[in-house]
Amino acid sequence: MNEITPDKFEIRDYLRLDLMPHFMCPGCGHGIALRALLWAVHELGIDKDNLAIVSGIGCSGRVGAYIDANTYHVTHGRPLAFATGLKLARPDLKVIVITGDGDCLAIGGNHLIHACRRNLDITCLMLNNEVYGMTGGQVSPTTAETRLTTTTPAGNSEPAFDACKLAEAAGAGLVGREVTMQTPALRNLIKEGLAYEGFSFLEVMSDCTEIYGRKNDLGDSAEMVLAQKSDMRPEAYTNSAEQPFRPNRLVTGILARNDRPEYGDTYRRQAAALCGEGDDAA
Amino acid sequence: MSIETIAAEADAVTADALTRNVLIVGVGGQGVIMISKVLALLCQTQGLQVKQSEVHGMAKRGGVVFSHVRFGAKAGDPVWSPTIPMGEADVLIAMEWAEGVRWLPFLRADTGVFIADTQQVIPPFACRNRDFFAEPAYATETPSEIVGQVSDGFALDAGRMAEELGNARAANTILLGTLSASLDFPLDDWLSVLNQFVPKGTEEINRRAFLLGRDWVETPRENPAMPAPTPALPIARPGIDVRLEITRSWCKSCDICVKLCPERCLDLDDQQIVRLKDPDACTGCRICEWLCPDFAIAVHHETPERPHSA
Repeated sequence: MNEITPDKFEIRDYLRLDLMPHFMCPGCGHGIALRALLWAVHELGIDKDNLAIVSGIGCSGRVGAYIDANTYHVTHGRPLAFATGLKLARPDLKVIVITGDGDCLAIGGNHLIHACRRNLDITCLMLNNEVYGMTGGQVSPTTAETRLTTTTPAGNSEPAFDACKLAEAAGAGLVGREVTMQTPALRNLIKEGLAYEGFSFLEVMSDCTEIYGRKNDLGDSAEMVLAQKSDMRPEAYTNSAEQPFRPNRLVTGILARNDRPEYGDTYRRQAAALCGEGDDAA
Repeated sequence: MSIETIAAEADAVTADALTRNVLIVGVGGQGVIMISKVLALLCQTQGLQVKQSEVHGMAKRGGVVFSHVRFGAKAGDPVWSPTIPMGEADVLIAMEWAEGVRWLPFLRADTGVFIADTQQVIPPFACRNRDFFAEPAYATETPSEIVGQVSDGFALDAGRMAEELGNARAANTILLGTLSASLDFPLDDWLSVLNQFVPKGTEEINRRAFLLGRDWVETPRENPAMPAPTPALPIARPGIDVRLEITRSWCKSCDICVKLCPERCLDLDDQQIVRLKDPDACTGCRICEWLCPDFAIAVHHETPERPHSA
């Protein structure tokens, strides 16, 4: 319905067909997010050879493996650190980080805030399904209060994180959020992020139907997708004193734009200057 | 009041000599409620019992609006229920053509008067084919067909008549004038009640619109039922050239496409794999393709989707 490019987007051109069908559970929102990402890549005309996908550990980490491009599957929480090195060494590559809520905010929380602070030209796609799905459904930093997980059998007692506010405060160039249900809108957001010169942090609200949805009785896959439609699970986003980090309503779209110098340029100028001095001295 | 009296009165009502029923239908913004209020107040000034009941929920989005007006045939006659039973409306006024056709079962088969504006307000959900410039699925009945089916029928292009008069928004007043010819109330009372309801500064144009509608009925013409309306649209459900490519080995039976398809044209087969159940209903909207997490569905438009953008 919303195609702009004259030639149609065929997702098979971007997938490793020998690995399909992918390992994600039935109804998992990560597949929809992957489609939106590839769609955005297609519409921006990014060459697969110049595309580097770095992913961490977890369900989201496996998403990158199905993309027929240069993909790196690195240690838990470190995709942003790896991508920083990659982007500094090869500034010609388009570097995309696919990470999850646990990977990005818990194990790699440290790397996230420093990647935001540096503002290097990386697009970070955080697939937020509010749980550690692959390891059996443990509580994650974005699990909403009172939700049941395998490690919180009496309901989660910790407040949940608003990752977008964190990224904005840490200085990320572009911060956005979208739900998987709005696939064309998600594609547009990812396009903005890819086109942005600087660090763009995009939170994708995904669904874990098999583990999180089942344990919390959130309905089947279709119901969970439909629940994203408006205020999206409002009980998870109450803006009370107990939930200081949560917006009372799930705001989507571009949430913050913080135009600062891109770090790669600064770094290369400094490196060139230092190299020049070294040459003169020799 | 004893049970016997109530029963006797109820019997009298079922003999349907006591109540006059006027059903007014249209879509949002056409003035359905205004007409019914004029009529209801007029009945009150004549000393009749009157009940009015309306639905105008989604009116501002072009949704359906209808209003039931019931009043006693003479002073003292009771009106029991505020809604008109099916097949008992004495007059059906339709501001919008398809709404008129839809409410026809409410009209009294033998003596009912059908008054309809032939203007068409095509709702978004009639646009089943999402291609540009595609024919919408809209009522295909022509005014001559309908007017031939009812005992007394008037189909007039009130929208255009009001526009020629100087204000397209007076179309409802024209239909009110047409209605006045079917009811037995003095003309002066009609006009004085109408004056209380129309916005300040439009009294004169509404008076002229009212008289125009009233005269339209009384003007002899060769075929009163055929005022040369805009031609009805011929296509009800156009065939759309869409092909769904389903990769069976990739489908994981998650059901998202089946439940989120707006046309409900998909289902799961005996092996729990998605299939296209109703190919004719598919409009090629691509929602299943977008929301399939397993990329099992691809929608192909055999004809170019947007001819003008090529």
